[in-house]
Amino acid sequence: MKKSLFRLTDMLELSFAYILCFSLNLLLDYVKTLDLDSYLLKAFLKNFIDYQPLVVSLFTFIVIVFHYQMLQRKKVEIFCRILVGGTVFNITTRYIRDSLTILIPVYLLSVLANAYLDFNFFSNFYLVLILITYILISARQVRKYENF
Amino acid sequence: MKIFRFIVSKIFLRKAILGIGMILLLCMANYITFTAARSILSTFQGYQETKYINQEGIYIANLDPDSHMDMGLINENGTHAVYDYLNNNFNYAFYTDGFIVSIPNTDDMEISLGYMNEEYYKLNQFELSQGADVDFNYQFDGEIPVLIGKGLSTTYPVGSTIKMEESVLGRPITLKVQGVLKQNAYHSNYYALNSKTYYNFSILVPVNEEFMNHANIDLRLNGLMDITILQSTKEQIADLGEVIKDNLGLIFNFFSQQQNYDYFNEYYLHALKIICIITFILLVVITCLSVWNALVSVRLMLKDFTINLLVGLSYSKLKKIFYGYFGILSFINLIVIFIITAFDRYGCWLRKDATFATYGLFGLIGMDWLALLLVAASDILIGVIVVESMLWKIKKIPISLGVLQ
Repeated sequence: MKKSLFRLTDMLELSFAYILCFSLNLLLDYVKTLDLDSYLLKAFLKNFIDYQPLVVSLFTFIVIVFHYQMLQRKKVEIFCRILVGGTVFNITTRYIRDSLTILIPVYLLSVLANAYLDFNFFSNFYLVLILITYILISARQVRKYENF
Repeated sequence: MKIFRFIVSKIFLRKAILGIGMILLLCMANYITFTAARSILSTFQGYQETKYINQEGIYIANLDPDSHMDMGLINENGTHAVYDYLNNNFNYAFYTDGFIVSIPNTDDMEISLGYMNEEYYKLNQFELSQGADVDFNYQFDGEIPVLIGKGLSTTYPVGSTIKMEESVLGRPITLKVQGVLKQNAYHSNYYALNSKTYYNFSILVPVNEEFMNHANIDLRLNGLMDITILQSTKEQIADLGEVIKDNLGLIFNFFSQQQNYDYFNEYYLHALKIICIITFILLVVITCLSVWNALVSVRLMLKDFTINLLVGLSYSKLKKIFYGYFGILSFINLIVIFIITAFDRYGCWLRKDATFATYGLFGLIGMDWLALLLVAASDILIGVIVVESMLWKIKKIPISLGVLQ
């Protein structure tokens, strides 16, 4: 990823955050398929399964935190890049491209896990939409650092 | 206080996303802890309640899951024969509920009728808030003395009568309120100890032999499902099983004290262990994410912290500010959990769900408050880990370097 704002640790951190979100969704999907004979356990897990989309969506907030803190740290770097000839448009598109480059393999991995467990392929597609929305919103933040 | 307000408003709130992130993580941790705590406490309450039947010589009936119930084969004579055999050979505790009737009351709830015999009443020792114990030697043709839940006590005070057009006796009956049960009196399901039926909108009708002889087949058959045989032996129980099979065509299992203990150990302890393990793992993951979120905050706010340290703020004061800030976040979360629980309890009143409607401060009962206390304890633990790691991170960086950043 040439000229990327992402360093190796940033990539690892973001990948980890994405993996956590998809894993949580997969875990709850898996729990739904379990044929439990314990009423107690069923009643306990029902408290989470009933609110699965809400729980997973709230959990994706860690991705917002990641994007926010990363761009805050890259303020000076973005400004310097503009100073030496980079354009806001190029930096923003590179940022979106790099974020998607991390998101897509993680999503494909989760699709593979879905296929392996015989789940619906698109059961976690809504997460991709949420995470892309976060990327687009955070990309707007890059523009703010034009005038440091 | 001034410095606390300054740091919260000028440093923490300027990067509110990090604060919101911490609130959401704490909210998840609190929800998990609260749910697990309530499940465990409720099961424990159920276990305590059923302890009285876990004694030597007591057997609990249970319809065999493989036994086919053919209502065409079950008739009045068959049930009479079974109860005659029970009355002649055993002491037994009889209880059955879930008979819904419409009786006018201030909260417009459907009323659940529960029927119990004297042995069951003695074993359970119901606590009353008003009135006196019920008398089982009442005149069958007259008024039947009953116990009612708190929710009915304003419409039907002690001494008043309730007329019912339809009953298990197949004729109108008149009930006389003898006593009022303590608020939130409950009955746990033998086979789902964490599930409870609250008696706030129930009427407990005492049943004697004459009543049973005149009752319809539904009451007698339902009563058999959970009947508790007292002071008996394995041989006598086997004979009873045969009598039931011959007269009703049903196969019943009778569980002894040892079998109940084994069942509890295998079924409930195992489930409780899994709940504890799941809760622990999720809490560890959430704590790690909270620490990550806190370290990210330190990374972004380092300059502000170190400038304040440079102009005289001590580490101990900073520590107090961090604890204060985390305390506020925890308090917000506790309020959220409290509101969700109160709304959940209030929902039972809105849905007119009489078996789950409870009384208490904002609808919360003792078990909820205890679970909230455990949530507060878990917040303190997470708070200590998060704050100490934040301070560790700040102390690791020299003040001069922090200012330069």
